[in-house]
This record gives sequence, C-alpha cells and structure tokens, in this order.
Amino acid sequence: MPAVSKGDGMRGLAVFISDIRNCKSKEAEIKRINKELANIRSKFKGDKALDGYSKKKYVCKLLFIFLLGHDIDFGHMEAVNLLSSNKYTEKQIGYLFISVLVNSNSELIRLINNAIKNDLSSRNPTFMCLALHCIANVGSREMAEAFAGEIPRILVAGDTMDSVKQSAALCLLRLYKTSPDLVLMGEWTSRVVHLLNDQHMGVVTAAISLITCLSQKNPDEFKTCVSLAVSRLSRIVSSASTDLQDYTYYFVPAPWLSCKLLRLLQCYPPPEDGAVKGRLVECLETILNKAQEPPKSKKVQHSNAKNAILFEAISLIIHYDSEPNLLVRACNQLGQFLQHRETNLRYLALESMCTLASSEFSHEAVKTHIETVINALKTERDVSVRQRAADLLYAMCDRSNAKQIVAEMLSYLETADYSIREEMVLKVAILAEKYAVDYSWYVDTILNLIRIAGDYVSEEVWYRVIQIVINRDDVQGYAAKTVFEALQAPACHENMVKVGGYILGEFGNLIAGDPRSSPLVQFNLLHSKFHLCSVPTRALLLSAYIKFINLFPETKSTIQEVLRSDSQIRNSDVELQQRAVEYLKLSSIASTDVLATVLEEMPPFPERESSILAKLKKKKGPGAVSVNELEEGKREGGELNGGGERGGDSSAIAASNASTPSPSADLLGLRTGPPVTAAAPSAGSLLVDVFSEAGVNDDGFLSSAPPTVVSEDPAPPLPESNELLNKFVCKNNGVLFENQLLQIGIKSEYRQNLGRMYLFYGNKTSVQFVTFSTTVTCPGELQSQLNVQAKPVEPLIEGGAQVQQVINIECLSDFMEAPLLNIKFRYGGALQNLTLKLPVTINKFFQPTEMASHDFFQRWKQLSQPQQEAQKIFKANHAMDTEVLKAKLLGLGMALLENVDPNPENFVCAGVIQTKAQQVGSLLRLEPNAQAQMYRLTLRSSKDTVSKRLCELLAEQF
Amino acid sequence: MMHFLLLFSRQGKLRLQKWFLPLPERERKKIVKDMTTMVLARKPRTCNFLHWKDLKIVYKRYASLYFCCGLESQDNELLALEILHRYVELLDKYFGNVCELDIIFNFEKAYFILDEFLMGGEIQETSKQSIAKSVEASDMLQETMEEYMSKPAF
Repeated sequence: MPAVSKGDGMRGLAVFISDIRNCKSKEAEIKRINKELANIRSKFKGDKALDGYSKKKYVCKLLFIFLLGHDIDFGHMEAVNLLSSNKYTEKQIGYLFISVLVNSNSELIRLINNAIKNDLSSRNPTFMCLALHCIANVGSREMAEAFAGEIPRILVAGDTMDSVKQSAALCLLRLYKTSPDLVLMGEWTSRVVHLLNDQHMGVVTAAISLITCLSQKNPDEFKTCVSLAVSRLSRIVSSASTDLQDYTYYFVPAPWLSCKLLRLLQCYPPPEDGAVKGRLVECLETILNKAQEPPKSKKVQHSNAKNAILFEAISLIIHYDSEPNLLVRACNQLGQFLQHRETNLRYLALESMCTLASSEFSHEAVKTHIETVINALKTERDVSVRQRAADLLYAMCDRSNAKQIVAEMLSYLETADYSIREEMVLKVAILAEKYAVDYSWYVDTILNLIRIAGDYVSEEVWYRVIQIVINRDDVQGYAAKTVFEALQAPACHENMVKVGGYILGEFGNLIAGDPRSSPLVQFNLLHSKFHLCSVPTRALLLSAYIKFINLFPETKSTIQEVLRSDSQIRNSDVELQQRAVEYLKLSSIASTDVLATVLEEMPPFPERESSILAKLKKKKGPGAVSVNELEEGKREGGELNGGGERGGDSSAIAASNASTPSPSADLLGLRTGPPVTAAAPSAGSLLVDVFSEAGVNDDGFLSSAPPTVVSEDPAPPLPESNELLNKFVCKNNGVLFENQLLQIGIKSEYRQNLGRMYLFYGNKTSVQFVTFSTTVTCPGELQSQLNVQAKPVEPLIEGGAQVQQVINIECLSDFMEAPLLNIKFRYGGALQNLTLKLPVTINKFFQPTEMASHDFFQRWKQLSQPQQEAQKIFKANHAMDTEVLKAKLLGLGMALLENVDPNPENFVCAGVIQTKAQQVGSLLRLEPNAQAQMYRLTLRSSKDTVSKRLCELLAEQF
Repeated sequence: MMHFLLLFSRQGKLRLQKWFLPLPERERKKIVKDMTTMVLARKPRTCNFLHWKDLKIVYKRYASLYFCCGLESQDNELLALEILHRYVELLDKYFGNVCELDIIFNFEKAYFILDEFLMGGEIQETSKQSIAKSVEASDMLQETMEEYMSKPAF
C-alpha cells in the first residue's frame, strides 16, 4: 500500500482499496465487497451515533464500490447529512457522493437542495463553489427550479469572489442547457456580456462559454458581445507571450480563451461596423501569419495550442464565407498541413478542408490538392486519417473530377478497411449517379462496385441502379450487355445475380440478337447461379424466368421444365414453392396476350432523389456529415430509403395479400402490381383460380384475405410526405399522391389570408372502397396558427370513380408545419390507413408587391437584424434555366422585380404574407452561380420565423 | 462542451469517470465499453482523434493510463488534447510525479482536482497556479494529523 500522499488520507479506505486490489478473482472481490457493505450497513444502522469522520469514510467506501461498477442502494441519507457538516472535507465527500450517485428520490432532493441553499448563502466562497459544482453535476430540473433565479444574482453581484463567479457562470450554463425555460433573461444578461471585459482571465474564460450558448439562442440580445469579443481577441493576439503570466500556455497566450472568443464570433455574421471588422480581419491575418513563424518551443503542447487557435480562426473564416482572400489563405495553410509529419494535423486539415470545399470561393482552391488527398487515401497508415481523406474526396468532387475521384475510390475499395467499406460504397454510388454524364459510365461503376465490394453493397444501391436503368431507355441495352458479361465470371457476387436477374428479365431481349447471348444462353447463365443463391434471390430469379417466357417464347418449355422440377414445385420454402406453382400455371394457362399484359415491362419509377444519401446520413450520424451532405440530405426531406419504400408500397398490398411472407424479396411481383394486386381483373381472377386449383392454401389469394393487422389509429405521415409537400411550394395544382390503389389530385386557390383546396380521390382499382373517410388535423402549435375545415366526403368510392372534397383554410398567424391529412378506407376487407402532409405552406398567403430598385434596397437595409435574415448556399438540383427559375419564383407568390438587382443574373422578389394576426413583409434574393452550379438564397422578413421557413422551403426548389 | 472524461488502464480497467451530462447507467457502461475497446485497439503513432456516433473522441496515453474524452462536433480537438495534458499536469503537481496508483488510492482527490478545472464540460480555470492554490487551500481546511491518526481504521 503506497503512502498516502497528502492531506487527509482515510486509512480505512486505503486498506479497503488495497484489499480489493489483492483479490485474485472476481468472486473474491465480490465477497470482499459484500463483507464491506454488510459492515457499513451495520455501522449506519447501529445504535451508536457515528462521528463525521467515520461517516465520511464509509460514504467514500460506498462511492468507491459504486465506481467499481457495483450497485449501491443505501448510504444516500448519510451522504446528505455530510452536506451540512462544518468540516470542509466531510462536506466535500458528501457532495461528491451526491454528484456521482444522483438519485431522483424527491424526499432526498429536497434535503439536498436545502443544504445547497445554506451553502450558497454562507458567503464562504469554498462552500459556495462546492454547492455550485453539485448543482452543475446533477443539473436536474428540480435543481433548476430551485436555483435558476438565485445563480444569476450571484454571478453579477459586485461583491462575489472571482472563483465563485467562474463556478456560477458555468453552473448557470448547465442549467440553461437542461431547462432553458427556467433561466429567465433579465437585467443580469447585459452585465454578463460585460464580463468579457473582466480583469480576471479565469472569469472571462468561464463566462464566455455561458455567453456563447446564450448568444446562440438569443442572438439579438447579446449582439453587443461581438465588438467586445473582437477587442479582447485583438489584445490577446497582439500580446507578448509573457504578458498574460499563468494564462500563457507553452508560450501561447491564452489559447483557451482565444478559441472561445473565435467560437463566440461564429454565432454572428461578420461585424457590420467597419472598424470592428477591420480589427477582426487583422487578428485573423495575424493568426495566419503566426502559423508561418518558427515555433517558440519544440514541445507538442506549444504547437497544439497554437494550431488550435489557427483551426478555430479558419472555422470562423469559413463561417463568414465572405473574404475570398482569407479563404484562400486558409486553404493554403491547410494544404501545408496535409503533408505535415504530425498525423493529428493531417487529420484535422483533411477534416477542415471538407467544409472549405463547400464554399464557392474556396472550392477550386481545395481541388488543387486532389493528388495529395488521393495519396493520403493510398498511403496513410491510420484508418481514421484515410477515412477523412475519403470524406474530403467526396466533398471536393464535382463534374470536372468525378471520373478520377470515383476511379480512385473504387481502387481503394479493394484494400479498404472493413469498417469503412459500406460507407465508401455509398459514397461511390452517390457520386457516380450525381455526376454521371453518360449512364454507361454509371452502370460500369456500380457493377464494378458490386464486383469489388459486393458484400457491402446495400439494397439501396442496387435498387437504385435498377431504377435508373428502368427509367433511361438509352442505357438499357448497354446495361443488359454489361451485366451479362459480368455474370460470366466464375464466382460472382449474389448482388450481381440480383441485378443481372432483374435487368435480363426486363431487357434481355435487347441483346438476344447476338448468338453469344441468345435467350437460352442467358437463361442458362442465370440458372447456373440459382443454386448458390439465398431464398430472396431465388425468388427474384423465378420472376425473371417467367418474364423470360414472355420475352422469348422459345425458352418456355425449358423454363417450364425447371419450374416443374421437384426442387421448385415442392420446395420447402413456401415463397419459392408458391412462385413456382403460380408461374408454371400462369405460363401454361394464360394466352400470350394475357401473359404479355401481366408481364409487361416495368413502368418508369417516379423520379426522385437518391435514397442512398439518406442511408449515408443515417450511417454517419448527424455530427459527422459535412455541410454539403446535410444540405443535400435536407433537400431530400427525409425521404425513405429504398427498402422502406418497398415497405410503404407493399403495406398496401400486404393488406390484400397477407400470405406473402417476404415482401422485401419480391421485386418483380410486388412492383409490377398486376400479378398480385387486383389491378387487372382477368389476371386477378385467374390467379385466384390457379391458387385454389393448386390446393396449397385454402385462404383466398386476394378477395378473401384474412383480417389485417393494420391499426385503426391514424398512420404516421408517409416518409415521402415532405417531398410531396415540397412539390407544391411553387404550384397549386397537381397530383399529390399515388399508389396502386389510390390517386389524390389537388387544386387550390388563395386570396389574402384565406385559401380553398379541392382534393380529388380517385379509386384506381375495379373494386369499391368502403368506409372511406378523411380527417385533417393541425398538429401542435399549428392549431393556433391555421384554421382548417374539411367538408365531409362520400364514404364509398366505386371502382374507377373519383370523389371530391373541399377544404377551407384560414391563416391566423405565420406557421412552420403543414396540416396532416389522414385517409382511411377498406379495400377488399383490408384497412388502408395513410397520412400525408397537406401542401399548405406559408408562401401561399403571399400578396405580390411591386417596387422600384431604390425602395427595394431601402427596405432590404431596414431588415438588417441578423435574425431577420435567413440564408442558404446550396448546389443546383435542376438545370439553371432562367425561364424555369422565373416561373418558380412567380409560383411562389411574390412579385418578381425586374431591373432591381445591379447584377442581371440575380433575382429579387418582394411580397407581403397575409395572416389574420399581422402582415409580414418579405424580400428575397436569389443569386445563381452558373459556374459552380450553386445558389445563394437570402430572405429577409420582418419576422424571423418567416425568413427561416421560406428559406427552408425554397432551398428545396431549385 | 465535453460530454465525458474517462481514465482507463491498458488492461481496460476504468480509473476515473466523469459524466457531464446525465446518462442512464446502461448507456454509461456502453460508452465505457466502446471507448476502451476502440482506443485500446489503436496502433501506436496513429492520430489521437476518432469519430464515434456524433461525438469526436480525443484520447492520449500517459504511461499506463489512457485519458479519453468525448466532444461535440464544434469543439476543438487540439485544445481538448491540451485539456487532458493540463489535467495530467495538475495531478502531477498535486501528487508529485503522479502514477496510476495515486489515482486509484486517492480517487476522490482526482475528482476534486478535475472539478476545479472543468465544470459542466467546459473549462472553468486554465491557470495552473490558481487551481493548485484552491486545491491546497481545501487541504488546509482538514483535520490535523493527530486527529487523523487517532481515528479507527475500521
């Protein structure tokens, strides 16, 4: 047992700890602990009152036992007793116990709060600090309720000691983060800002964390901090390393404070006051200059502290995104770091460049480092650095270098670490699609992807290549040829078989003219893989076979032979057996016409954004996604991934086809509709017959489906509902939603703050919908912002018929969300339940306002408070066609002002949103950059929420 | 803001755990497990940063102990490394050539020193002198040695 170094070692505790360390096994340890627990329990329960020291010692032992990972269910009371001890160490141990073993036992919390209250009012700074620490450590709502009023007073009181101020500032920050509603802004807030000027560096360091957090939430109230922060920063940056005494860290003056000041400035746009801005730019330049100076010490602490400030300064430069000169310097500096011998700096440089790549000013500068980054991907020994390199390549990719980057990423994949392969695959797939100029390159890339990293190719990826091939007839022949060749490899990945089966089943005819890929050769090739595949793939192949019978009648007998074999028709897997039986019957009973109808080529998929992005985002977690990806992710509006879509589609069908066990495996069947749904009556009844004849299952296939398990509660909104909503921001009429059963059309008109919407529900099937009902609800806040009344709708919709519903809308005040439309009906006995977002968005209540250039800019300037403005910079989603842009902006409802902006490329609009409560004037400016394929969108409104919402809505439109 | 700070040995034994956000016990155990396996698996001379869920992990090894903290995405990694270093310096100043055993046997002191330095996951005081002074001051508030020696061991 080592000598207790200092202070009041507790001998009993030291003995106990060393006993535990001497235990040879886990069992011995548990035994020793149980013995100790029994001992402590008896002491606590004993008749003799324990003195403070013993109580402290036992509480400390309990704490030790807890920290070893054992449960502690007593001793809380004794710990609370220690809080009111006059001996500092007893109090301190009491507080430590409470902080570590928070207990929500309300009785105890009251006692704890009492003790804290006493200490806070003791005016003894050490006791006050202990109490503040306890509040910050526990940070519960009860504590916030008890002390959120008191702590600001302590913080700004003139006679509070510096050390207490430091604790109070951070304690308040903690409470503000848990319960912002309980920390009320008031007179103290302005005095907090002035703590930035405090003499004591420790006070400034602690206070600035609080100020930063408060500024993020209430930028306006705290905006005076900008100039204070700039002058403080400037004093530090220009000081000699000796000026700040103990706040100089390895020759770097106040690195923590400097970084926090730079972080605080990132809550605000660039300072408007020229002098302040000049001073700040000077600071940033000094920081960049210092990076070039020789180091004052060889210690890594020196360079870390110095570079920490440098990286924070670069973050601020990127945040401002307005000083091309500084941006390029930042980029060059990072470029140097890319080749630095410190791994940490290479890592951070790669990470930081990712954000620089999304700025239009520095995107090109970042691109010049492509070779270094590719080299890093190939040669870095540390996988986390390689991963950053891959991220950066992804971020710097554009049309000009896509082929190079995709090729490098593909070749890296062959040797990439298993941990990052899936992500790499997603990235390659996204880039290949995004920058595909010719789609044969895209098809090659994805097939290569499957060849190299088949195991990591998720469903989304291969669904997507199929969607694209189906939708683009110029690439179908090429895809068929390439996949046919790929399948010839002796060992090819199952995902390749899936893509091959699907594509040849659809487009095999396009290459059937070549005798080397005649129908029978194609079939034999596919079938040679059959036995190596899993059930879902086999199911897909069976569907491909029946498609072959339709495409190539000459293969019919061969395929029927295969279907008829025992291994198919008597397969133990019910899905495979069912398919074999049905397809065999279908091929022998149905006429060629029926067959051709049922097995018609897949219709194009509705155009939508790639679902792979969403998957990537989900995989990486919100914090790890670069700005660029987030932007794109948002544009997607949380779209479902491919698998989910399938789920969405199939839920409607699963209701009428409860016997399909694995809908996810079913590509052809479910997607085409006819073979399973009742859309084609002849096929439907035929299938029913086939089914009962086969005698596999007594349940009817379609009409007598068993009662379903779909819940009666309104379904959650469809995942694609945001995307559907976005379609209607700039237009009022169109098809809102469509699936195999139902189509919903929409027509709407708006005047002032009122609107009327006509919904048309069309039954696409030949079977009537019964108990059809719809409800429109305004969730949450929306209730008080929008008044929506829906007229009742006919409960019955005949097959092929359409009914209409009128909805009246009144806008009471500005709003963010959309009303929800829930639709329920029974189709063939199965309850259908779906919820959509009704496309009522704030811009519908715009009145256009014409104005002259002079007026526009005058108003623009009037709306100059930072929160009145919302801005977004984003990549163009569609072609940047002036006429299309104009049409969209007009559709938005604002007046499109000609000859106002000095740059004729830019668009400016003005309008007033009419709500019952108030009118909200809004101005818009859209600046396209055709070269970078980017837009900058700026909105200014008299109301901050309106700017924000409009900006969100519009960023999805271009 | 820092979410947690963990000290663990090369064998993966946890020596100190500080949570700046209230987390259920189960989640804490999961984090400890993930951190120890992730960090201990790193090869020498790799970088000190990792991504884990939406947190940045910064770690550094001092002798037999790993110091490991979880940061939010906007926090500065290099500065976090220096937070770890400053904490080591503070322990060193207090214990005099600190070693793992000091932290095992005086775990409560290690917590107290940390509390003087960080609060709610933010830096409270960076001056080594000020922190050392307040830790010393609290030691002065204790019983005399005689008082201590006269107490029973059990």
